[in-house]
Amino acid sequence: MTILQEISECLQKGKVKQIKALVQQALDGGEDPKAILNEGLLEGMSVIGGRFKREEIFVPDVLISARTMSMGLSVLEPKLVEVGNKAVGKIVLGTVKGDLHDIGKNLVAMMFKGAGFEVYDLGVDVDAKTFLEKAEEVGADIIGMSALLSTTMPAMKELVDLLEEKGLRDKYTVMIGGAPITDEFAKEIGADYYTPDAASAAEIGKTCVLEKSV
Amino acid sequence: MTNRENFISMMRRKGYEHVPVEFVLCPHQQKVCREQLGAEDYEAYFGMPWRRVEDLRLKDHDVEKYRKYYQKPLADGADIDLWGVGHEKSPNSMHMTYMRHPMEHMMTVEEMKDYPFPDYASADDSHQAKQVENIKEQDLIALGDMQMTIWECAWYMRSMENLFCDMVTEDGMAEFLLDKVTELSMIRALSYARAGVDVLFLGDDIGMQRTIMMSEELYCTWIKPRLKKIIDEVKKVNPQLLIFYHSCGFVEPLIPHLIEAGIDVLNPIQSECMDFERIYKKYGDRISFHGTIGTQTVMPKGTPQEVKEAVWRNLDIAGEQGGLFVAPTHMVEPEVPFENILAYVEACRTYAGKTGCKK
Repeated sequence: MTILQEISECLQKGKVKQIKALVQQALDGGEDPKAILNEGLLEGMSVIGGRFKREEIFVPDVLISARTMSMGLSVLEPKLVEVGNKAVGKIVLGTVKGDLHDIGKNLVAMMFKGAGFEVYDLGVDVDAKTFLEKAEEVGADIIGMSALLSTTMPAMKELVDLLEEKGLRDKYTVMIGGAPITDEFAKEIGADYYTPDAASAAEIGKTCVLEKSV
Repeated sequence: MTNRENFISMMRRKGYEHVPVEFVLCPHQQKVCREQLGAEDYEAYFGMPWRRVEDLRLKDHDVEKYRKYYQKPLADGADIDLWGVGHEKSPNSMHMTYMRHPMEHMMTVEEMKDYPFPDYASADDSHQAKQVENIKEQDLIALGDMQMTIWECAWYMRSMENLFCDMVTEDGMAEFLLDKVTELSMIRALSYARAGVDVLFLGDDIGMQRTIMMSEELYCTWIKPRLKKIIDEVKKVNPQLLIFYHSCGFVEPLIPHLIEAGIDVLNPIQSECMDFERIYKKYGDRISFHGTIGTQTVMPKGTPQEVKEAVWRNLDIAGEQGGLFVAPTHMVEPEVPFENILAYVEACRTYAGKTGCKK
């Protein structure tokens, strides 16, 4: 097994305590930081995402792998900056105004990080204007909104309307998710995508960004 | 049948004479109820079959002692509950709060051991027996409501992410915390049972919208044995006690485990997550159900007629023997049209059985 495969395995198994040493070992051995990221850490997260989507593993396994990835990244990130690594894309995400639930949203943030995105997490109770301002500021590709309550679902439409009003609708891919959300609802409010789980969200997000850049 | 006889017979699947109504209204809907119906106490107004008995009263439990556990201070106006969990408010979110976790940053079991858990062992139980007696005298069911029994209670203190990681890494922290919460919940549960409640409502969310929250293996290792221990002990005090159990979402693969743990009634069978007919066919000979009327779908979005039809359909599935305490699956939130609440009540009151006419 190559060191990069070892890193991917280590992440899949959620071995939080071993990942730092392994990433360091790869760097010391002269591996390209980008390869450590893409073929090691992100490859591992991609396997985890697929298994999560197929319901072979569940939230705890994803959390522990995401935590392992963060530990690995803490060693790798300075090197990635040095070599000028570029993220796959940028996403601004948060839970919509009036809604304070964030477990699902946090999971989505982890999966996007695991797909190589730069993630700007605005937290909970975020209004449409704040989503847009942050997206404009960082040059986001995707805006992701979460809601757990049927009470707060209508707040998602406010952002879509605001984008229309400002003539910016085509600039961003709008993705939505959360327990009561459906495909129908996404169509009804004019969002681009609804995904039923965090792994699918990151997968679709990545596809969108790659297609856009072609 | 008296109300008590009707309720117990229905929950034991031995037939029933009338369909009781039950729901929990958010503060906004309570206000609507007062304004439109003059109903100060909506549980009494709609003739709900049960009343809650107050939990043990903690002595000298000043929750300010928990404030120092927050590295990032709690927001102004936040409440701290009896377990030390912080609840931050937002002007946009009505009755909802953002939860903060006092044990989130702990790194060792020793730190956890020093945490001032609520002292239920020396709490006051003197009010409980009197309340139970009073409730039963009114021909009502006495309910001990202690949902968020083990897993959720522990996660609220530790944060879900940390507790899951503790469970996976098996470093002793999850074991300590879950044991501690089980010990305290046991004290509360036994006190309710000794006071003579008819129903003990336990619960821990273990389902998400489409999948279970954790693997069966993890559930059976960490949560099931602790739940079973509590149920076994309270049933030694009163074998007739009905154990209601709540978990949101899709929990189908875990239902056999919940049955083995000893639950009698499963709540809420979210219609958006599980098909009640299938669940009833599969498990309806062993447990009963409470809920089934979707608060993500038919309650906020359906017409009054659709609400009624959902109620009748599910009662038809359960049939003459009962086994379904039909109710909205969750708290009725502000966006639910008031006429839909009234339609639910009317549907219960006018149900005349599968072959009977629906007025």
